[in-house]
Parts: sequence; C-alpha cells; structure tokens
Amino acid sequence: MPVNVREYLAEFDDIPGTRVYTAARARQGYWLNQFAMSLMKEENRKRWKADEAAYLEDWPMSEEQKAALLARDFNRLLDLGGNIYFLAKVFSTDGLSFVQAVSTMTGMSVEEYQQMMINGGRSPEGVRSIKEGR
Amino acid sequence: MARITAGVTTSHVPAIGAALDLGKTEQEYWKPVFAGYEWTRRWIAEDANKPDVVVLVYNDHASAFDMNLIPTFAIGCAESFQPADEGWGPRPVPIVENDADFAWHLAQCCILDEFDITIINKMDVDHGLTVPLSLMFGQPKAWPCKIVPLAVNVVTYPPPSGNRCWMLGEAIARAVESYPQDLKVQVWGTGGMSHQLQGPRAGLINAAWDQKFLDDLTADPERLRRIPHIEYLRETGSEGIEMVMWLIMRGALGPKVKELHRHYHVPASNTAVGHIVLEKCS
Repeated sequence: MPVNVREYLAEFDDIPGTRVYTAARARQGYWLNQFAMSLMKEENRKRWKADEAAYLEDWPMSEEQKAALLARDFNRLLDLGGNIYFLAKVFSTDGLSFVQAVSTMTGMSVEEYQQMMINGGRSPEGVRSIKEGR
Repeated sequence: MARITAGVTTSHVPAIGAALDLGKTEQEYWKPVFAGYEWTRRWIAEDANKPDVVVLVYNDHASAFDMNLIPTFAIGCAESFQPADEGWGPRPVPIVENDADFAWHLAQCCILDEFDITIINKMDVDHGLTVPLSLMFGQPKAWPCKIVPLAVNVVTYPPPSGNRCWMLGEAIARAVESYPQDLKVQVWGTGGMSHQLQGPRAGLINAAWDQKFLDDLTADPERLRRIPHIEYLRETGSEGIEMVMWLIMRGALGPKVKELHRHYHVPASNTAVGHIVLEKCS
C-alpha cells in the first residue's frame, strides 16, 4: 500500500519534545554524525580531548554545529541533524552514560531524571500529540 | 530438514551488558531485570530446547554502519563476527560464530522470494546483538550455538513497516523449511520496549501499551502487523520503533504459538525491558 511521504513526515512534527531522524536531518547532520563516528578510534579521542576546536577544523560542519558540540547542547545538536546513537560517541568520550547524557535534554537533574525512571518513567499522557493535546 | 522451533524476544539495553560484564547483576537496581531471564536460561539449556542456530534480528547503533551505508535488511554471511568497540572497548564476550552455509542460504532464498537483502561479510556486532546472547546464555567461553546476524535499519527514517518485517519473517520460515540439513532454528527479535533517548520527552515509558503488545503476540498478532510508525513514536517513544523487529520473529513462527514465558520490568537505564518466549505450534 503506497504511503504519501509528505503526510508521513508531517506527522512527526506533531510529537512534543521529539526530533525524528528523518532524511532531511540525516542530510543536514551528515558531517556532524561522521565526526562523531571518528571518536570510535582511540587515537582520535586523544586528539579531540587535547584540543576540541582544532579537531573540529578538519570537519566541514556549520559554525552552529561546532558551537553546539563544544557546548554539549544535545537538543540543539538534534535540531542540527545529529542522531543520538552518533552523539553517544561524543558523550561516551566525555565519560557520560546514556542516562547522564539523556537527562541533560529534559531540563531535569540527573538525580531527578533517574528517580523518574525508577518511578516508572515519563507518562505518555499529554505528550503524544501537540495538535490534539493528548 | 531444518525447522523453526521457538521465538525469543528481548530488549537489548547496553547498560544491561555493562551490568553483566562488571558483575553488578546482584545489585538491588539490576536484580529484578536479570531475575526475569532465569526461567529462559534454564529452558534454553535443556537439550530439547537448545537451538543449533539462532537467526538474531537486531539493529546496529552506529557501530558497523555509519551514515555512508544504511541497509534496510542485512544478513551477516561471514564465518564469524567480532564484538564491536562502541567507544569504551569491545564487550568481553565470545566471538559470534555464524553458520555461513545456512546464512547464505537464507540470503539467497529471501532475495529469490523478492526481499532485497544486503549481504554483509566484514561487520562487527554491537550490544544490539551481544546483550541478548548474554541474557540467554550467561558468560560462557563460547556461545553454545551458531548465530546468523540479521540487521534492520530502525535508526534513519523510514525503517521498514511492521507488516514488511512480518513478511520477511514468513520468507525466513520458507527458507528454513527448504534447508536440507537437520537444524533446530530459533528466531530472536530484539530491541524495545518503550523508550525515548532524545529530546525533552526523553524517558517516556508506556507500560500499558507494551503489555498489550506482549499479549497480542499470541492473542491478536494481526493487529500488531498494522501498527504504523507514528503510533510507535507517539505511544512508545522515538526508540520504541525497535519493536518492528519483534515482528520478524513473530512472522517466522507462523499462525499458532504458545507463550511459554514473559518478563517486563521498568527501568533498565532509560528503557522498559520486555522479554517473551514463544513456542511454535504445528
């Protein structure tokens, strides 16, 4: 059954607080994500840690992407085409776990976020659809 | 003749692998996560249930595949696969030994059955594949069976539909039936259940939706085939989409199955852990 791709993609913008990794984001974030992949090699991690700004000079990213990387602004990086599994190479190099890094995107402290997870996680009530407010 | 005997599904949270590797399974936080796998570990160790080969459906998490290559369905056909270095060194787990004859047979049959499978030789396998093996088999020196990796793209949109995954499962079942060697084959679907790892909505868990999904693997699998991507995204978080991979397992088992075991626990790290064992009924 053929799907109308415009309708398919438009629905993704109706989910609160979520950036679905669409083709448009994948194109925008190509170098950002490939940069992140480079951190899977120990020698690259060493160079990155020694001088982050200098390391970024080798990558044809936008200035916004570079600034967001240096600031570890993960929500901004998602907006600029980053994907969480690629960005994981950046926060793993920083020594952060998924819980620690993910909590920074929620406006909660790590402790508050962890407690929310132990209490059963974030309820889907009210965060399914912006338009429908459900 | 080869035959499919059972299906297993489980979440593949990387922190579960880390907890196992670092000896944390008895800690209060982790104990209930691992307790739900004890039944399966006893069950799968019995001769009657032990598979010769597992077709292990999983997704790569920017380990083997970067943004240069995004196969929708890929079957690993090499003799063996190394555990991937995901940025903190490879997991201390055995090499994954394939049944390459069988894997190539699956790939050829599925392509002739009109599934355009990517064939992969050199590929490291990440936590998506190795955490389920650790959960079922513990920490042996070598995995007790052969493993055919079946990687599915659920990272870059669009992933395959649930229905397409189901149909691939059916094609795998036909391929297994046409393999002359006497093999007991299990199909494992991994990933899920509800979780979101990104954005201000991160941490989303939907236990009611997850439990209904587990129920309907036996009660109403036809409903599961028709769940659109947008429902997974809204109801189960952006990473809940991994559950389409469970439908490859379910499609492969055929119409009648019996639930042997179920486990559901929140949380492991950011994720709702779900695990089910289904027996194929003739």
